[in-house]
Amino acid sequence: MTRITIDPITRLEGHGKIEIFLDEEGDVENTYFQIPELRGFERFCVGRPVEEMPLLTNRICGVCPEAHHMAAAKAGDAVYGVDPPSAAKKLRELLYMGFFFTDHTTHFYALGGPDFVMGPDAPVAERNILGVIHKVGLEIAGQVLQARKYGHTVVEMLGGRKVHPCTSIPGGVTKGLTEEEREKIEGMGEWAVGFAQFSLDLFGDIVLGNQEYVDLILGDIYSDRTHYIGLVDENNKVNFYDGKVSVVDPDGKRLGKYAPDEYTDWIAEHVEPWTYLKFPYLKKVGWKGFVDGNDSGVYMATPLSRLNAADGMATPLAQAAYEKFYETLGGKPVHQRLAIHWARLIELLYSAERWMELVTDPEITSPNIHTVPTKVPTEGVGIVEAPRGTLTHHYWTDERGILTKVNLVVGTTNNYAPITMSIKKAASSLINKGTVVTEPILNMVEMAFRAYDPCFGCATHSLPGQMPLEVTIRDVDGEIVNVLRQFC
Amino acid sequence: MSSGSSVKEETIPAAGQQPKILIVGLGNPILGDDGIGWRVAEAVEEALLLEEEVKNPAVEVACYSLGGLSLMERLIGFDQAILIDAVQTGSGKPGSLYDLTLNDLPDLSTGHLTAAHDTSLQTALKLGREMGASLPSEIVIVGIEAEKVYDFSETLSPEITASLPEAVNLVLKQLNKLLRRSSQSLTV
Repeated sequence: MTRITIDPITRLEGHGKIEIFLDEEGDVENTYFQIPELRGFERFCVGRPVEEMPLLTNRICGVCPEAHHMAAAKAGDAVYGVDPPSAAKKLRELLYMGFFFTDHTTHFYALGGPDFVMGPDAPVAERNILGVIHKVGLEIAGQVLQARKYGHTVVEMLGGRKVHPCTSIPGGVTKGLTEEEREKIEGMGEWAVGFAQFSLDLFGDIVLGNQEYVDLILGDIYSDRTHYIGLVDENNKVNFYDGKVSVVDPDGKRLGKYAPDEYTDWIAEHVEPWTYLKFPYLKKVGWKGFVDGNDSGVYMATPLSRLNAADGMATPLAQAAYEKFYETLGGKPVHQRLAIHWARLIELLYSAERWMELVTDPEITSPNIHTVPTKVPTEGVGIVEAPRGTLTHHYWTDERGILTKVNLVVGTTNNYAPITMSIKKAASSLINKGTVVTEPILNMVEMAFRAYDPCFGCATHSLPGQMPLEVTIRDVDGEIVNVLRQFC
Repeated sequence: MSSGSSVKEETIPAAGQQPKILIVGLGNPILGDDGIGWRVAEAVEEALLLEEEVKNPAVEVACYSLGGLSLMERLIGFDQAILIDAVQTGSGKPGSLYDLTLNDLPDLSTGHLTAAHDTSLQTALKLGREMGASLPSEIVIVGIEAEKVYDFSETLSPEITASLPEAVNLVLKQLNKLLRRSSQSLTV
């Protein structure tokens, strides 16, 4: 058996790794995708006051601290049985829109975009954000950094500091919004809506205007018929901050919606011997292995999942983009994984429009931003949509609010099974008997999981702070016969 | 698309401004040895405050859990920078110190998955410079070989803790070099 490993080279342990095993014929026999897991978070939290969690958990991940901050604050609300004032919820959500806007922008231009703007088989040295900028124009680079700056500014104004917000606490927030700040955020929000529309237009021109890319998106290589989940509001429209989690089957039929404290009725975790990370699946459908279809409990939680699991978008421009999305791709649900990139841009537009709705809400400058918890704390669950999937925080405390147990189901964990399946499908389609495994082919395998925007953020803190790849090809005896690196 | 205010205009320092140096502790303070960058930066800041002679308004100290574009954005407006971070070369003993430049790190930006959601610092800096952002002309790195960076803990390994004073000295030495180079006198 030949083994191909896509492996980072600067880590000795705990790194993300793809291994592709070939059979004697040279076809793909199996693939394994191992994600690094940080250890001991539960032990680290036990014994601390639950109100510390919004500060502690936003250190779990350098990429999405705001998502952990929000989920922790909401779980804290639930632990104390306290309902924050309406203005506090809106302030939290406004901060969250600034975060989503920044995160989705970065993903499209820096990570997902290069495959489409430059092409999956473009020279590797050009297939990055610099290549994108050189192709679409330097002015766009300015707009991308401007978008990030505006998103960061909203987070800073509402979150109390530039990175790692600190204002959400059980019962509400500690910082309100002045009229002067509100006006600034409104001005930036107007620009943000324009930028999001521009980004969707850019996607339309570059991707949808190229039949080769459309074929790539619609082709079978990057498609799996799984279940989908995503947070929706009372009208079943996509919501990032609050609501119930909608679950739909591969035909798009809604199986139900669950409130945060009902998540254990819906989600269970499967264990495999080759990885520390567990595979969540839909309990009511059951674990049937790494297979798709209506009988398999494998589900996906991504921007595409959110669109599939909802009835639409709650803002007008995003709704129009949503309708065009399904019209173009042949109806709902969409199973093609590369469409996640498009769905992400529709969400980008929604985040900007929702930003404008919230900042122009008369209540947003209200001083009534905190409800003092009075009940004895017990147990609570908080759910938000992180950019890369549904994020669940579950805390248990004693009567003093001291944590006794913690459970987190993070965005990428939700997607572990579908990512694994997508890699196998792409590898099986692209690597066959006699295939010379080249960098572009491996890049197309990587594209299968890059669409999910999988989060290794926690593992990328040490310099060089990256996830480099090395491809090792081994013969039937496991001896290395060739090594390919993605960088020189 | 409507046009926002120019990043370039906002980030170019005013003429005659004193050269500014940023010392950044990088890492995650609750992830074991990954917190060493912060600890060193905090100790450097204390040393600078204690040593009257080295009080210098041109020197700032910060701690971030950032990389790529976000880190580049924090460097805008500074002329020189010192980054302090845990490194894992796989060959050094825990606590070993490294005096590095950006060129010593592999520029992984030419590949994909160079960062989970971002790009490399090198690519981010190129991007920023192409846009005319005012970024440090010189970036030096003080690396500390880390041991445990996958276990949540606020405690450093003993070897890493032992290396702290020496790491602080190395940062101050680097700072002195940068200050001398920008024609300022400083005794540490």
